[in-house]
Amino acid sequence: MKSSTMCNSSVVLLKQEFLKKWIKGLHTYSNFNKNMSIMDRRKPAIKLSADVAIASTRKPATRWSRALMADILGTNRILVEQVLGRKQDMRAASGLMKCSKKILRRSSLIARRRVVPRRVTEPSSIARKLVKNRTSVLKSLLPGGEGMDEVSLIQETLDYIVSLRVQVDVMRRLAAGSLEESLCDHHQF
Amino acid sequence: MEPKVEATQPQFRSGISGANPVEMGLGFDEIHGLISAAPGTGGSSFTALLELPPPQAVELLVKEDFPVKPMPPPIFPSNIALIDRASKFSVFASADNSPESTNILSASSSMKLDLVKQEPLESDSHPNSSSPAVSNQSLKSNKRKEREKKVKESNKKSKKVVANEASEDSGEKLPYVHVRARRGQATDSHSLAERARREKINARMKLLQELVPGCNKISGTAMVLDEIINHVQALQRQVEFLSMRLAAVNPRIDFNLDALLAGEGGSSIDNSYPGTFAPSIWSEGQINGSRQHQYQQPWHFEGLHQPSWGREEDTSNFITPETSLLSYDSPANSASLHSSHLKMEL
Repeated sequence: MKSSTMCNSSVVLLKQEFLKKWIKGLHTYSNFNKNMSIMDRRKPAIKLSADVAIASTRKPATRWSRALMADILGTNRILVEQVLGRKQDMRAASGLMKCSKKILRRSSLIARRRVVPRRVTEPSSIARKLVKNRTSVLKSLLPGGEGMDEVSLIQETLDYIVSLRVQVDVMRRLAAGSLEESLCDHHQF
Repeated sequence: MEPKVEATQPQFRSGISGANPVEMGLGFDEIHGLISAAPGTGGSSFTALLELPPPQAVELLVKEDFPVKPMPPPIFPSNIALIDRASKFSVFASADNSPESTNILSASSSMKLDLVKQEPLESDSHPNSSSPAVSNQSLKSNKRKEREKKVKESNKKSKKVVANEASEDSGEKLPYVHVRARRGQATDSHSLAERARREKINARMKLLQELVPGCNKISGTAMVLDEIINHVQALQRQVEFLSMRLAAVNPRIDFNLDALLAGEGGSSIDNSYPGTFAPSIWSEGQINGSRQHQYQQPWHFEGLHQPSWGREEDTSNFITPETSLLSYDSPANSASLHSSHLKMEL
């Protein structure tokens, strides 16, 4: 089907993009992680570099990616530098952190103002409460989701899901490929 | 294809790490319909159409500059056409008017062909993210309102209270939305804005529903949100799990970046053994190209991995692991090419 191949090409580009950046990020850790324990060093390193990579493919446009990058910048600045490149990183760093902090502050104020205790048992309000619950859960899931209104929340979720899929797909292929290769090696000996 | 999917289904369920089985079951129905390429019915083309808008719409909604490689960006005419289709689907999913919807479906399927032909002709220059996104959204909402109003008119044949000046088709270049109040509804600006906002939200929810597998059949915002949350959580868990797995599997660390980037250009190197690997795990790239499938494929992996090991061991006798990973010609598997290098780096 032509349509599916059209989707596929843009997805493939995304994947290649992601992969390249991920590799760049992994190089940062390669010297440290040669003989480290799995859980403490290597897994977070891999995951972080993957996250940075996937966020950077969407870097300018979406809020979740900005939030993710800002978050990682706080702890692993070097990694982000490696993946992004020097100049962009400097520009991005201050901008991102300011942006996200401002948003968080604003949203907390708004939330406080709007809390009004009510006792209603109409079905519509129950439904609304349910939706609100779900929305807050979604916000907690999404990086940087706290400071978003509903409209942009849904938009960001869309984008985030797509990027997560790309990430998962590439990682999965890599894992399977490496598994296959190690299997072949064992078989040959 | 079909029996294979059925047979491997129970294996997937066992191999899942905390996924939602209901969600997966629904997803497999979708795969079913999409894999069996035989039907040329309106149903299958509809699902194909449904596939197209959300991922493309997502791309359109958040369009930005790639520092490394330019992505083929959508040009504006195709944007509008695409958004029109998406909006039409969103409208007619809610309306109960079947003859009209089938008319529009046929019209939009022809539109889809035009769009698909247009896409390969896209240029490499991309616009900035902010302005197209904004104008896209305003265009989209504008067009959507026009369509919705037309539907409502034809359905209800009611009088309209014109609260704002409504521009029929000249609203393409306006940066704000013209809204019409429907019959029997308040016309002050607040409720209008409220309604516009709600419609925006609903349209995006529709897109989300199409993206997340298994959400199409659910009605009700809370349930859909539930599914979406499950989906996002499952994906995040997958990332965690995969990163742990990758960390555990690869003890070696080597540098092969140059070869990797060079190899990317020649990813379609050797197709000398495509047939031998057809049944193997990488066949997922050939089975389908849609993103939804690629989501479902991860589950496909877990179950399929065990039985196909034996087969791979046999065939890999005369194929080095590297060429084996190179032999998948579909562009989606260029990632598989890199895996052979990347795993050395890990």
